[in-house]
Amino acid sequence: MAEGEEEVRIARIIACFAPGSAGAPEAVARLAEEMQAELLGLFIEDVELLRFAALPFAAEVGFPSAVRRSVDLAGLERQMRTQAAGLRQALAVALDPTAVSWSFRVARASPENAVEAALAEGYAPALIIPPRGDPRAERRVLRRPELSEEALRALLRAVQPVLILPE
Amino acid sequence: MNLPLSAEALRRRCDPAQFDFATTAELADLEAALGQQRALGAIEFGVGMRREGYNLFAMGPEGIGRRTVVRRHLEAQAKTLPAPSDWCYVFNFRTPHKPRALQLPSGKAPAFRASMERLVEDLRAAVPAAFETDEYRNRRQQIEAEFGERQERVLQDFGERARAQRIALIRTPTGFGFGPMSGDEVMEPEVFRKLPAAERERLEALVAALQKELEGVLHDLPKWRRESMQKLRELNREVTRAAVNSTLEEVRAEYRTLPQVQDYLAEVQEDMLENAEAFRQAKEGEPATLFGIPLAHGDASEATLRRYAVNVLIEHAGAAGAPIVFEDNPGHDALLGRIEHLSQMGALVTDFTLIKAGALHRANGGYLVLDAVKLLGQPFAWDALKRALRSREIRTQSLGQALSLISTVSLEPEPIPLEVKVVLVGQRLLYYLLHAYDPEFAALFKVAVDFEEDMPRGRENDLLYARVIGAFARKESLRPLERAAVARVIEQGARDAGDAGKLSVSMQALADLLREADYWAAKAGRAVIAAHDVQRATDAQVERLDRIRQRLLENVLRGSHLIDTAGRRSGQVNGLAMAQLGGFAFGMPQRITARVRLGSGGVVDIERESELGGPIHSKGVLILSGYLSGRYAPARPLSLSASLVFEQNYGGVEGDSASSAELYALLSSLAEAPVRQSLAVTGSVNQHGDVQAIGGVNEKIEGFFDLCKARGLAGGQGVLIPRANVQHLMLRDDVVAAVAQGKFAIHAVSTVDEGIELLTGVPAEEIHARVEARLSEFAERARAYATGVGGKPWQKAKKK
Repeated sequence: MAEGEEEVRIARIIACFAPGSAGAPEAVARLAEEMQAELLGLFIEDVELLRFAALPFAAEVGFPSAVRRSVDLAGLERQMRTQAAGLRQALAVALDPTAVSWSFRVARASPENAVEAALAEGYAPALIIPPRGDPRAERRVLRRPELSEEALRALLRAVQPVLILPE
Repeated sequence: MNLPLSAEALRRRCDPAQFDFATTAELADLEAALGQQRALGAIEFGVGMRREGYNLFAMGPEGIGRRTVVRRHLEAQAKTLPAPSDWCYVFNFRTPHKPRALQLPSGKAPAFRASMERLVEDLRAAVPAAFETDEYRNRRQQIEAEFGERQERVLQDFGERARAQRIALIRTPTGFGFGPMSGDEVMEPEVFRKLPAAERERLEALVAALQKELEGVLHDLPKWRRESMQKLRELNREVTRAAVNSTLEEVRAEYRTLPQVQDYLAEVQEDMLENAEAFRQAKEGEPATLFGIPLAHGDASEATLRRYAVNVLIEHAGAAGAPIVFEDNPGHDALLGRIEHLSQMGALVTDFTLIKAGALHRANGGYLVLDAVKLLGQPFAWDALKRALRSREIRTQSLGQALSLISTVSLEPEPIPLEVKVVLVGQRLLYYLLHAYDPEFAALFKVAVDFEEDMPRGRENDLLYARVIGAFARKESLRPLERAAVARVIEQGARDAGDAGKLSVSMQALADLLREADYWAAKAGRAVIAAHDVQRATDAQVERLDRIRQRLLENVLRGSHLIDTAGRRSGQVNGLAMAQLGGFAFGMPQRITARVRLGSGGVVDIERESELGGPIHSKGVLILSGYLSGRYAPARPLSLSASLVFEQNYGGVEGDSASSAELYALLSSLAEAPVRQSLAVTGSVNQHGDVQAIGGVNEKIEGFFDLCKARGLAGGQGVLIPRANVQHLMLRDDVVAAVAQGKFAIHAVSTVDEGIELLTGVPAEEIHARVEARLSEFAERARAYATGVGGKPWQKAKKK
């Protein structure tokens, strides 16, 4: 547990999910239950990705297969919808029987903007779990003013959850 | 004139006065095998002869103590030999389906198994501990971070190079894509479409080139991952090696003098380094079981660790001397061991820990005693034993494998060298059959241990017998026997031997008699066993078994079965037959009749014609035909047709002991000399008219005696026996008493002439003369028929 965390009660957990990343909805739900914190499942449909997929020559190189294949916007959107529905369902199964208050949202924006918007809703202090993050990993702690757009982008690419304390 | 035998000749008494003890309690124990010098010599030779093929076959009838004698000798010899090695099966790391056999000094195997169990337990703690150190964690993170950073760096560099060309690197759900930029963002598709065609083509070409380049970069990623994994494996091995080496060192030191174990431990060490992960997985509770049987391989790590187990197949901890194994159920698997299976999810699985020892494993380095009949009765067990003895190794495999009936993957345990002396115990017939029909038998069982069924009677042997009786009574906690009781037991021994001059050495019969005599003594409230108790025991034995004899006797007494014991009749003789049912032998008289007439058919054996006569009986009848021809018609054809029959015999007849009776019936019929029905006859006859010995003489005499006694002993009744059988007489006391009182008589005859005189009261010469005259008359009439003179008397009568 991060230093100083004992002194604060986490009001909200913002669990970010991204297209193609399975995430860990069950683990996130357990964490929320343990912390008795409100949980927001935030599925971020990255606009950059959607824009790219809409290009007429959009193609990707598979990772790590290194196989080149075309990308189709409709297919990508369908995949995102299915994934979001699956995540919502997994959270519902885990949390409906509990007293944890939770919600799930799909945001079509850049990841930074989506998280920023969620943080702006209040509920401080909040724990951000990045799309590829490990809910149980050692947490970083930041104060709200230290959270620049650049810093938030970097945090969302990392594995560690970040505890955002108010000013 | 033939005089009847005296009463003294009918039963050779054992005089209690010859013993100078009051009861057997005074006698020293004697555990020697009575009368078995030949067998003892053979055992001593066979046991001492440590060469291939010198296995033993102890043959003789049941109950004479073959196993006891063999056991006693083997125990004495086994004590002088060292306890053999222990054997274990362990996992074969090179060829897993061929478990490896490890030889350890006697009694060491359990300790080795415990050492290996301890080793695994220690490593379960030591290996995870080694992986939880800061040193290991930091080095591992370093390796993982190195790979992640290298990957990220390459992608970042690539992204920057693309961005420099105004192309954005986009992370898609399943890879990476490239899109032209507009400002700091990916270009809107509408914007892209409005670009001049040349610009669009340029951007597309640029993106295609970058995609190709990225493919090349990503191609290297798996290689980097492998490198990273390799580093991680090296680290794991390094950490594991330190833990394993320090723990294994103790075990190595403990078994430093055993190169085979050292080799095995070296392989264990190597395997543990390869499979360190198994030690890192926590052991959760007890293994899963089904009806108390552990479900093997339930968990991958448990299955891996099971490979380091030691299956102690055979161990001799605390054993003094070589093992002696008596296998009572010598089936194929019971001899060679078996590979058991566990049912797991509907499939049968096995491994080296499920190999179980057989009798050959247990007896290896010592002796294995088997019952030959049981062995031969078990499918493929005999072949398996021979194969093991020939190859001198124990190859454990299921019958299905041995016969190639199953082809599923199973274990092929490494064969274990075999050094064993096998003793087969069986009947003589079996020995001779095996010798005749199994070519390998003679090479593998070179030592025949032939047990005697009896021993000579005499003062010295009587005393030895008394000591054996005394020793047995003591061993079995029976009452001591008075010397008169001992004498009575000895007489019964002679009766069992069927010979007044011999003693049966059937220990089973002796043991039964002593136990039962003790029972009757107890019932009578006696502290010692008296002669009366022995007699009561023998009488009770007979009484329990003689229901059929009584029913047969009853049939005769009620006239259903016709047997005369008084009067005279031509062509009719009382023969004597013996039956043996359920171990009880008894004799019964049997009416034999003969009818003669003119003809050329010789003697017709009705028993044979009706397929009720056995081959030996037929032979007897043919012999008496030979006697007739040789005696009365050496130079002319025998113009006789005679028929012989065992009256009211519906169950078959075998043996030639009635051939003299049949001959007497024929002679009586031919000579028209009536035979005394108060006499019965037994004895076979040869072509010269000599009467020969037969078996069961005592039972046969007693059979006729019982009938006569039931009808009332009139004084003239008796039995004709072959003189050669006098030495076998051990008749019941009541028969002897009747003879002593002149109420019954036993006549010993050597020739047919003696017998016919006794039976008819007519001198033999006269009988012969009458027979010759009758046969001449037959011959004359036959010739007349043949030449036509009187040949067709009815035609002559017509002419007249």
